[in-house]
Amino acid sequence: MTLKRLLAAFVLLLAPVALVQSVKQTSWGPILAAPKARQIGDPNAKVVIVEYSDFQCPSCAQIEPTVHKFLEIYNGKIRLIYKYYPLTRIHQNSMAAAHAAECAAGQDHFWPYHDRLFQTQLSWAPLQDPTTSFVAIAEEVKLDLGKFQSCYADPSRIAPIELDAKEAVDRQVTATPSFFIDDERLVGTVFATDGARTIERAIRR
Amino acid sequence: MNFKTILGLVSRMAVGGVLMYAGFMKATGPAAEFAANLAAYKLFPSFLVSPLSLGVPYLEMWVGLFVFAGLYSRYASFAAAALFTAFVLVLGSALLRGIDLTTCGCFGSDTLSPRYTILMDIVLLALSLMSAKINRFTPSWSLDKTLS
Repeated sequence: MTLKRLLAAFVLLLAPVALVQSVKQTSWGPILAAPKARQIGDPNAKVVIVEYSDFQCPSCAQIEPTVHKFLEIYNGKIRLIYKYYPLTRIHQNSMAAAHAAECAAGQDHFWPYHDRLFQTQLSWAPLQDPTTSFVAIAEEVKLDLGKFQSCYADPSRIAPIELDAKEAVDRQVTATPSFFIDDERLVGTVFATDGARTIERAIRR
Repeated sequence: MNFKTILGLVSRMAVGGVLMYAGFMKATGPAAEFAANLAAYKLFPSFLVSPLSLGVPYLEMWVGLFVFAGLYSRYASFAAAALFTAFVLVLGSALLRGIDLTTCGCFGSDTLSPRYTILMDIVLLALSLMSAKINRFTPSWSLDKTLS
């Protein structure tokens, strides 16, 4: 009787392991090429970091100093690609912010615009219509305002954002910020604690 | 079947079912996302976050499966009660410290609010204790009974 129960226990312990291994996705969808304007760091760097981020997400804003720190420390060794992943269900202005950033990317000013969006996040995030804030940032980072405004009024310019978001979903990204260093995934504040170790491991490979 | 037997069976199904589902959703999703959820609680040292994110989902599935199947029913129900107690304490401490969690991370990619989840955990803790009390011998519809 005891042996039967022990055998049953063994089967019950093994079953979830086998089930998870049979259904778990171990390879993710491809990372599509991103325009040069949304890449920073050495173009020939061995290690490529892909960040899926939402301009209205507080954790994404909090992680930015760490991202800058890593770009500085591993200068010449890493390249960062920014991918839009606006979580529109919980962040009402996230798509508009990504649209504005995409317009800045069109004028090759993505990174200064990106930095200012995160630095001023608390001021535009609760607004009903954040357009004035986005135009002000455009002015601050010296964009051609006419071009910026016509781009911002053009709904077809959100196509690359939707493409990035679809890629994120295909890669089972459900939270922002999510970072991929080669095939290794780091989410949220874990990038701050484990990022350096993961980057160094990738550099050594 | 009398009322007590039905109650014992229902509590086992509920506790076991929820634990199996929660563990499965986390184990089949990217471990990095659960690790991020754990890190957001600001409760565990960073070296523990990764092992916990890999181990907890399996622990939930194993305990859930034992409760559901009714093998070593009483011990499994106590183990489930211990898990729910831990969840209540972890969630409660985050709420008390005013940590703004967008999700508790309990069911993988869910967006259940921590306030709602803590209530659910309290109910499941009560059901686990009830299951341990009712199913202390050989409960009906269980492996304990079949193999006895």
